[in-house]
Amino acid sequence: MNDILKSIKRTPYQSLASFMILFFTLFLSLFFFSLTSFSYGFLSYVETKPEVTVYFDTKTKETDVLKIKDTLIKSGKVSDINYTSQEDALKIYRDLNKDNPLLLEMVSADILPSSLGIYANKPVYLAEIADYLKKQPGVDEVEFQKNIVDKLITVTSVMRQISMFIFLFLLLISFIVLMTTTAFKIALKKDEIELLQLLGAAKGYIRRPFLIEGLVFGAFAATIAFVLFYGILFYLKPFLNTYLSGIGNLPFYNLGEFGFNVWPPSVNYIALSFAATNLFGMIIGLFGNLIATSKYIK
Amino acid sequence: MIKFDSVSKAYSHGNFQLKDISLQIDTNEFVFLVGPSGAGKTTLLKMILKDIIPTSGSIFVNDMEITDNKFTAIDKLRQQIGVVFQDFKIINDKNIFENVALSLKITQTAKKVIQDEVVKVLTMVGLEEKKLMFPIQLSAGELQRAAIARAIIGGRDIILADEPTGNLDPKTAWEIMRIFKKLDHEEKTIIIATHNVDIVNSFKKRVIALKEGMIKKDLRSASYEL
Repeated sequence: MNDILKSIKRTPYQSLASFMILFFTLFLSLFFFSLTSFSYGFLSYVETKPEVTVYFDTKTKETDVLKIKDTLIKSGKVSDINYTSQEDALKIYRDLNKDNPLLLEMVSADILPSSLGIYANKPVYLAEIADYLKKQPGVDEVEFQKNIVDKLITVTSVMRQISMFIFLFLLLISFIVLMTTTAFKIALKKDEIELLQLLGAAKGYIRRPFLIEGLVFGAFAATIAFVLFYGILFYLKPFLNTYLSGIGNLPFYNLGEFGFNVWPPSVNYIALSFAATNLFGMIIGLFGNLIATSKYIK
Repeated sequence: MIKFDSVSKAYSHGNFQLKDISLQIDTNEFVFLVGPSGAGKTTLLKMILKDIIPTSGSIFVNDMEITDNKFTAIDKLRQQIGVVFQDFKIINDKNIFENVALSLKITQTAKKVIQDEVVKVLTMVGLEEKKLMFPIQLSAGELQRAAIARAIIGGRDIILADEPTGNLDPKTAWEIMRIFKKLDHEEKTIIIATHNVDIVNSFKKRVIALKEGMIKKDLRSASYEL
């Protein structure tokens, strides 16, 4: 550690340049990581919004409707089902027409259909569920906006691919930029490396300070990037809340049940971001220096 | 002991850098390698360090056949050899103490031992007072003295010096050679490649003269004629 501090003190501008590049790389990586995670969570949220509504004949027994509901729940393809009985339908009708007593007098529960409102885990299941329902006895009508769902599936799939492409592209660019600057820094140490080899230093001995420096710079830059990113995020949180207040918790991929929420950012998710940014910083710091030193260590 | 047995180094287009060199340098011997530029002096020194691999022939250093394909302990070999270069090869962002300590640090020597040994060799070359100075603050002669200190520290028993006085004025060159004379009394094998006729002739030591990659003369207590 003393050697690293000495190296920073004696070559402050080169060290600052390396650190700043690592810092910007990691800050952008964290930004895109969060954006990708948020997009994924938001797309998943949007995808659960379309529903299939099935109306039953007025003569269909409640037990038969509940049997269909159970079968759908057991299929694992359904995220939520709302059952509306004939009585519930009447209540809704009365609420809607409470200012028109004439309409209320004419209607009783017997003539209103019971229904199920079904939300799928993934939009691709909706067509499958609609087909299944159409084949069930006692079903009067199945409402399912196929065109809209198909478009949604296409849009979310393209958006996922684009965000993944951006993330991978950024990763590649970060690595190349970092490796080039590290190689430049190590090129300045070329004479020292050559001398150490002639004095009989082992390859591991020559590499070690560069690798440790890469690790330390990576971890330090990652921590600063993390603090700055979350500082900005929490500063902007009240403003972002005005747009996102209605959507509830957005899970980090499929880890929502373990307390990993992208929005609002949960403690688990923030800890994961910190660990991931640090790990990424240390890996690129380490491998960047490893590849760069390989050029001069025969 | 250093032994070259029919050693040649050829370029890909057939020209020779060294041609059929056979020689033996005994332990604690003091040898000058002389010859015009391009004669092969530096190539020969680099072969002892296994920095250049010969095209044919065998080289033995302290009973190790370093040209054997199975020989991989290059770092161990080089830890027995101290090297002094014409351009000093002193690291600019390290002070003189740290530069000299490098030779010991690479062998994981204890800090206390490094401290004592560095002070000892710096005193020997007359740089003890300047140990905390940086290369930019020292003269060429002082830098070469630091390089010699780095070469001899830690019991390195072979010292290779490639034109050690090449970048120095005559007065400073003699000061440097006086240090080598002192080292002659210690148990070290010393090989110095040089052009300096006066220095070679004043030492009355073994002279190996190279020309066009071949040994032209190998005489004990000889003089050097241009």
